[in-house]
Amino acid sequence: MSQDNLFPKETNFSPENEIPGIRAKIIGIGGAGLSLIDGLRFDNFQSVEHLAVDVDSRALADSLAGEKLSFGRRHTRGMGTGGEHTLARKALEEEKDIIRQKLEGIDLVFLLAGLGGGTGGGAAPVIARLAREAGALVFAFTPLPFSWEKSRHSMAEECLADLRKFANAVIPLPNDSLLQMGGEDATALECFAEAGRNVSMGISAICSLVFRRGMIDVDFVHLRKAFNRRAGRTLFGYGEGDGKDAIRQAVRELLLCPMLHLPDVSKAADALLILITGGTGMGMAALQQVSTEIREEFKAGEHIVFGAHVDENMGDRVQITVLGATDLEAGTPTADVAPIAEEVIAVLPKSKVAHSSKLKKARTAANTKTVKTEPRSKKKDGIDQNTFDFMEAENQRGIFGDLPSRNIYAGEDLDVPAYLRRGVKIAI
Amino acid sequence: MSKIIGAVEIGTSKAKALIGEVAENGTLNVVGMASRPNEGMRKGEIVDFRKAAAAVHSALEDAEKMSGTTVDEVYLAQTGSHLKGTMLRGSASVASSDSRVEVTDLQRAAEEAKRKEADEGRTYVHHVRTPILLDGRIVQDPVGMFGSKIDLGYWSIDGDDHAIKQALHVISNYSLEVKDLILSSIASSTMMAGPDLRRAGTLVIDMGAGVTDFALYRQGFVACTGVIPVGGDHVTGDLSMGLRVLEPYAEKLKIEHGKAISDPIDEGEDIWIIGNKTIGDRSIPRKAITDVIHVRIAELFEILSKELEGLLDPDELKGGILLTGGGSLLPGVEQIASKILGFTARRASFPSGIDSELAQPENATVLGLLHYGLEDHGLPGRKREEVEVGFLDKFRNMVGLGIQE
Repeated sequence: MSQDNLFPKETNFSPENEIPGIRAKIIGIGGAGLSLIDGLRFDNFQSVEHLAVDVDSRALADSLAGEKLSFGRRHTRGMGTGGEHTLARKALEEEKDIIRQKLEGIDLVFLLAGLGGGTGGGAAPVIARLAREAGALVFAFTPLPFSWEKSRHSMAEECLADLRKFANAVIPLPNDSLLQMGGEDATALECFAEAGRNVSMGISAICSLVFRRGMIDVDFVHLRKAFNRRAGRTLFGYGEGDGKDAIRQAVRELLLCPMLHLPDVSKAADALLILITGGTGMGMAALQQVSTEIREEFKAGEHIVFGAHVDENMGDRVQITVLGATDLEAGTPTADVAPIAEEVIAVLPKSKVAHSSKLKKARTAANTKTVKTEPRSKKKDGIDQNTFDFMEAENQRGIFGDLPSRNIYAGEDLDVPAYLRRGVKIAI
Repeated sequence: MSKIIGAVEIGTSKAKALIGEVAENGTLNVVGMASRPNEGMRKGEIVDFRKAAAAVHSALEDAEKMSGTTVDEVYLAQTGSHLKGTMLRGSASVASSDSRVEVTDLQRAAEEAKRKEADEGRTYVHHVRTPILLDGRIVQDPVGMFGSKIDLGYWSIDGDDHAIKQALHVISNYSLEVKDLILSSIASSTMMAGPDLRRAGTLVIDMGAGVTDFALYRQGFVACTGVIPVGGDHVTGDLSMGLRVLEPYAEKLKIEHGKAISDPIDEGEDIWIIGNKTIGDRSIPRKAITDVIHVRIAELFEILSKELEGLLDPDELKGGILLTGGGSLLPGVEQIASKILGFTARRASFPSGIDSELAQPENATVLGLLHYGLEDHGLPGRKREEVEVGFLDKFRNMVGLGIQE
């Protein structure tokens, strides 16, 4: 099966009414990142650039991305990291100026990196940080290894925690749950392809929000305002409907989306992006109802970005994509929030310019070390209690999500559903 | 004159209180029993003190009302993944010149065994005596026998100070005293496995809502106990996530349609989630429910098997495996347990003479508390009261509880 079949070309949007001025970059890092970026085809978004980053120069040579960057030659002599994420991190820190150049003038960065690998795990947090410093809004899509790959899995979790300090939203794609995708007889390959399609849809939703004019229009500033804080947990899901009852069907599918039913996924969102794409027949009344329903479902706070786009190619199909983030530290001062995020908060509400490079030099070694708190542990003494009200009542990490300690036995968290950890597919 | 005793189990799904009347001839009558949903507890540990206390207090109140009496002291079941068991051993050489074992020899051995103090921040909850060996032979009561060396052991369970204190405070807030802390697994096996089974060797698995307790008996004594922090709530949680339904519906599906092992009859059958086919109701294949439960239950027994590695010996486990607790009601659990643990497992049944209303697997622990409390667990040749007071005083000092005698 060739990759073209695995990753269907996104042809939902026509390039005509693209809004100029804003630049986005999709960065694939490491092995998994490269294959994800190759799976995406956004040829129809003119302002979206593709960048492939790896230490492995051979893998890079095979990549289809428009721009390529190899680093760490001094440490790896052009070969892989062999799973050493500290190596990748060190190498990248030494060469961060090249990355900075690549990030100049970019407003929106999508990071695609498998956190189980050395390059992806080590480089993604660094690039996320550099991108935030350069004033970009950073969304990361990160495949995670299976939980039975114990050491890789725990390493990936560390990297994930690191990445969350810097990215505006991190959407984990755990391999465990990818197996739950697709139909009952879906093969592993099809499940991975499905994951690629998810990433594609997520990025395409955000891009079309920013670059296209729609029926209900939102722009980059809205998006930025909603996601300008550092995200603790995120949610990401989509649904598709067809025919007379398309919208209802899409909502139903959205609510059943396996991506929304993972142990680490937030059930409520402080910031929520809803994008509905449908054919010309899409009714306004139905849209409004759907938006209310989704809002209620995710108990979304004040920051909602709702966009509706009409695409003739859709016929009577309707697609809904949601992307949400819960900022666990909302309102808590200094120590908790990554310095960068903090500065961005401070800068943004006043000057809604697309990107501010003032942030560049503001970081010092001194305030880096204050970033150490586990997101959940601050729950009790958070100042903004309103943010946490829903957390007490709602279960975040499955039904045991509200418990502070994990239930670890032989390297596995027993509170995470057994069928996910054991890779047993549940067909509903 | 008859005596009134109480038992309290602060369970993850329910708090239970039981009041028993011990007649002069030693027979026990249950005169009061109440249970209240407990929302203050997760996985066998108190997470919300006031909610847990309120549940226990209202259960106690109802039980007292029902019995028309009041209790002064209760036996309290203790569980939670913070508990750890170790075998403490002690020995003593027979002191008397004629080589006859005396009570003091036993006491010296016991003292030596219990000398080891619990680690910082931990307290012993329960010392369970294991067989007495006289020159390497198991004897019931060596006092008066000839020999040179006494060996004995205590299976000693220690737990986190704070967790234990919290449980004790729930009771003391109701101005009751805790007469003794008893390990949940030992309480329920006292109830479900009679002396014969315990002598033949039995593994009792109590599948609760928050945790699964187990106790392995060999030759009539406890050989090993443990707590696995997985229970019925995990099954509900898995269902809720796997089927994408809200928790209460997941719980209902589990109780009404849950099976731990797939059944060919169910092939192709669909279950309605809410059941009334209203808007928002949808149907799911029964197979999905079974699949989710099966993986979790199988994993639970795999963990158990790992914990008991090397301890399950066919010659020492003639009594087989007994399953009790609310989770044992799930159809198919006994098959999975038999398959994974390699010994025949069956649902435990209550001894005759217990009211059918009480004889539910979820009541095994609380009923067992009373029965265990009635039995004599001291060293042979000593008066019972003496031993117990000694132990409890020591314990009270350790946890720093102010007790007015």
